Amino acid sequence: MLDCNRMQRFAPRRRAAAIALVVVTSMLTATACGSSHGNAAKGPTTLTIGISLSLTGDFADPGKAAERGYQLWANTVNAKGGVLGRTVNLKIVDDASSPNQAVSNYQNLINRDHVDLVFGPFSSLLTIPSSAVVNRYHYAFIEPAGGGPAVFAQHLHNLFFVQPAATVQGGMVFADYILSLPADQRPKTAAYPSLDDPFAAPIADAVRQRFEAAGITTVYKSIYPAETTDLSPIIAKVAAAKPDVVVAGTQSEDAYADVRAMIQLKWAPKWLFLSNGANSPVDFPNAVGLANTEGIFSSGDWFAGSTASGSAAFIAAYTKAYGGTADQIDSTSAEAYSCGMLLEEVAAKTGKVDNATIISTLHSGTWPTLEGNLSWDSSGTPQGSYLLEQWIGGKLLAVYPASRAEHPPVTEPLAWAGK
Amino acid sequence: MHTVIQALILGVLTGGVYALMASGQTIIFGVMKVVNLAQGALVIAGAYLSYSLFTSFGLDPFLSILITTPALFGVGAGLQWLFLRPLREEDRAELSLLVTFAVALGIEGVLSVTYKTTYRTIQAGYADRSFSVGGYQISAVRLYAFLLSAALLGLLYLVLERTKFGRAIRATVQNPESARLLGVNARVVAAAGFGIGAATAAAAGSVYGLLYSFNSGSHYDLISRLLSIVVLGGLGSIGSSIVGALVMGVVAALVAALGPPIWSDFSFFIVLLAVLLLRPRGLFGASLRGAL
Amino acid sequence: MSRAGIVRALIFFGLLTALPFAVTEHWIVNLGVFTLIYAGLASAWNLVGGLAGYPSLGHAAFFGAGAYAEAIYFQHRDVGANGLLPFFALPVIGAGVAVLGLAVGWIAMRTRSDVFAIVTITLLFVAQTLAFNLNSLTGGSQGIGLPGAPFDVDSYERPFYLVLVLLLAVSMGITWAALHSGAGLSLQAVAADEERARGIGVHVTGVKLLAFAVSVGIAGMIGAVWAYYVTFIYPQFAVDPLITIGMVLMAYLGGRGTLWGPVLGAFILVPAQQYLAYQYGATQLYLIAYAAVFLLIMLLLPRGILPSVGHLTQRRRVVMGRASAEPDQDAATTGVGADGGVMVR
Repeated sequence: MLDCNRMQRFAPRRRAAAIALVVVTSMLTATACGSSHGNAAKGPTTLTIGISLSLTGDFADPGKAAERGYQLWANTVNAKGGVLGRTVNLKIVDDASSPNQAVSNYQNLINRDHVDLVFGPFSSLLTIPSSAVVNRYHYAFIEPAGGGPAVFAQHLHNLFFVQPAATVQGGMVFADYILSLPADQRPKTAAYPSLDDPFAAPIADAVRQRFEAAGITTVYKSIYPAETTDLSPIIAKVAAAKPDVVVAGTQSEDAYADVRAMIQLKWAPKWLFLSNGANSPVDFPNAVGLANTEGIFSSGDWFAGSTASGSAAFIAAYTKAYGGTADQIDSTSAEAYSCGMLLEEVAAKTGKVDNATIISTLHSGTWPTLEGNLSWDSSGTPQGSYLLEQWIGGKLLAVYPASRAEHPPVTEPLAWAGK
Repeated sequence: MHTVIQALILGVLTGGVYALMASGQTIIFGVMKVVNLAQGALVIAGAYLSYSLFTSFGLDPFLSILITTPALFGVGAGLQWLFLRPLREEDRAELSLLVTFAVALGIEGVLSVTYKTTYRTIQAGYADRSFSVGGYQISAVRLYAFLLSAALLGLLYLVLERTKFGRAIRATVQNPESARLLGVNARVVAAAGFGIGAATAAAAGSVYGLLYSFNSGSHYDLISRLLSIVVLGGLGSIGSSIVGALVMGVVAALVAALGPPIWSDFSFFIVLLAVLLLRPRGLFGASLRGAL
Repeated sequence: MSRAGIVRALIFFGLLTALPFAVTEHWIVNLGVFTLIYAGLASAWNLVGGLAGYPSLGHAAFFGAGAYAEAIYFQHRDVGANGLLPFFALPVIGAGVAVLGLAVGWIAMRTRSDVFAIVTITLLFVAQTLAFNLNSLTGGSQGIGLPGAPFDVDSYERPFYLVLVLLLAVSMGITWAALHSGAGLSLQAVAADEERARGIGVHVTGVKLLAFAVSVGIAGMIGAVWAYYVTFIYPQFAVDPLITIGMVLMAYLGGRGTLWGPVLGAFILVPAQQYLAYQYGATQLYLIAYAAVFLLIMLLLPRGILPSVGHLTQRRRVVMGRASAEPDQDAATTGVGADGGVMVR
């Protein structure tokens, strides 16, 4: 889940690069390889779906993960004969991680190329300006990666966020787990160091409110800026406050830096929840050392061991198409793939794939996807919950809620505690 | 009080590493009057080189400096020869900003193609080790990084003060015209000066990779700090950039430890603006024409 | 301005204004909006970066200040039944940002040349940090949303477009005046040699501060229009080094210090980028290729397109013996920077 909001302000200036400058290369590649995505041939035999994705710039890595998911779904559905007999043709264009380009791209897709449908880009920050354009032309906006509060504050009836819940709900499942413990086993004190990011700090804040209401004392909270490369001073203050539990609103490398700073300070809380970063099955152990991951909590939506509908088929198709192992699949790919699944389900149920049908149909009922069974309120907020994950025996496992868990949660001291 | 001292230790250790990067920046400015916006990118390139040598051959970053510094010396000298030398003297101050920025973008592009944009860290065995001294935690890798930076700065000083080559550089800095009359080949000195600047970036990069997660875009953050440091020092001398770096390290660490961390970097920029308000030429601006 | 110059300006603005009425394709007008945003910014930047010889890298901070002023004021307010209130706020925003620019310029312009560039880029980061940290005002990292404009869907982009044409006209008008007036001569004297200008009685500080304030004021107004157009702003996108780099590059490409150069640069780069990015997507290599072209421009056309072309045509005239050639390149080549070395200290 949160993975897909791995919006890094860490290198805000990186975008300078992503400038209009796609120009030149595009010129070079245009002649060299021609248009890679083909033209939007419109007709009764094809179904063209326009998508703007960040294939370059800040969001390039998750943007490409989303592209793989979309493309995999299109190939899969076309192998089965398409949607209602129409071959799915994806028109994917690059927005260079820039909102200006994303706005222009959806304008072009809808008004120039007259695509039949559109799917969403990567990150809330691009989803919000894009959704205003898409809404203006009454297209359905099924989007895999825009789950920040500002997305839903627009109250757009045509928008559907394809994850289990709004992003700020990311820590709720941890709060649920902790508060499910017998009162004498719960933590007494808590610390909340958070990254100043729309997908990090609000998650920790939501948990804090639940914890405070349940009588867990807040001994430390702070928000640090995205440019912070050195978290030692902050973790030193956390350690000095000696909380039982640390709920850190993190993205990626600040999560790694948190853990490393704790190891250097030789201090560990009893429970450590990192809202994001620690849910990366490959990058996290690479950054902090596999042995140090043991016992750390995070949360997520789709994971390799998921029992959600279609997950096994998705993994098989993904590893066949792109290689690697199930653990290496970015959950963003599953989110994008789920957008296509929704479309297929609407088509199967109604026999139609026009925008008005999609909007009205998705607003009623519950829809099975890799993200679980989804349903939305009138603003597009999904009504489910995320999964609690924990590192156990060198693997990231779903541990809560019990109904969807692979393994019960483990409470043992963190690897570096007491060394 | 404990917090303050802990923050001071951290600030000084961090400042030492930045001093190394900034000294390269200062040398380049000194010999060419060029503000090198690619210095941060060169640091990151150095970090990636070390990362590759570490992951492929298990070479310790402190050892791989022996490979990365000569490599980046070559790269730096080459860049100067290719892109800065052709600029006409009267255009140079202004165009060099854009040219070195373009070089930075180019380096970033090469790195992001080679390494993707995933964040990397060099996970040396001692990365998480730390010493306790009188109740203060000193991270081993930070201490080593500081010591290395100090040693390299010392070495740089010796090269500039005690070698013929160093004298040629200093002569060029003080007065390019008379240096030329004394038989100094200004073109060679300029290329070599840029090369030395890049080499210090390589060394600092190895250390940076041990301390922080980085990706190809990390240089934007670095360059804004480096520029501030050298401007604070007054673009004058290696000594002044060391002071600038230490001020930055200490101010940022103190604010992070005592105040709200979101203002930590900001506070340094405020110090910078305040200094400029009082002394437009920086803390040591008077020595602008002085020796390195 | 020569008669040819006036005719050229009339034709240019006439065509520009007619476009959204002649063409109803949303995507074309949308492209026009972004092109005009950059054309206006490049032209405004040119006042201080080209004419006064102060290469500011901090203009995006003022663009962002204007965007935030608009967003903060209108986030919970009605934009009026016709949706024009946010445009009526522009003069106030422009004046406010200009005053801010005076204060900032007073500090920054104590330095020169490359140090000035560094100081202004530092300001950019200060502004971005403020946008992130003052979250009760700016929404911080949550961003800030504006109400959508209630314009007719069929001509939704047109009002934004026309306002931007107006702002571009203002910016170019001021540039023209600066190239042809006493104040403009002072500015050119400052660019050429600040100390000597002071020596011959030019109010150096006043002139350059005025140029800076006007320049950033226009940038602020453009930022405000942009915010209303995209309806959601975020520190990283509103105070974006990319915007600075964009305007500087366009000014350099077309010819800094000239009237038409920055505009030409924007009209080449923005559509090319938007169209090609859309049409062909991008590859991993784009940064490298971009850097390469960037370097080529700097090395081969260090003065930009217009001045280089101007030099060529002038040389040809000389060869052809047309000594009486009328200077119809007008401001394009006779301005500061036309002969390259003027701005260099």
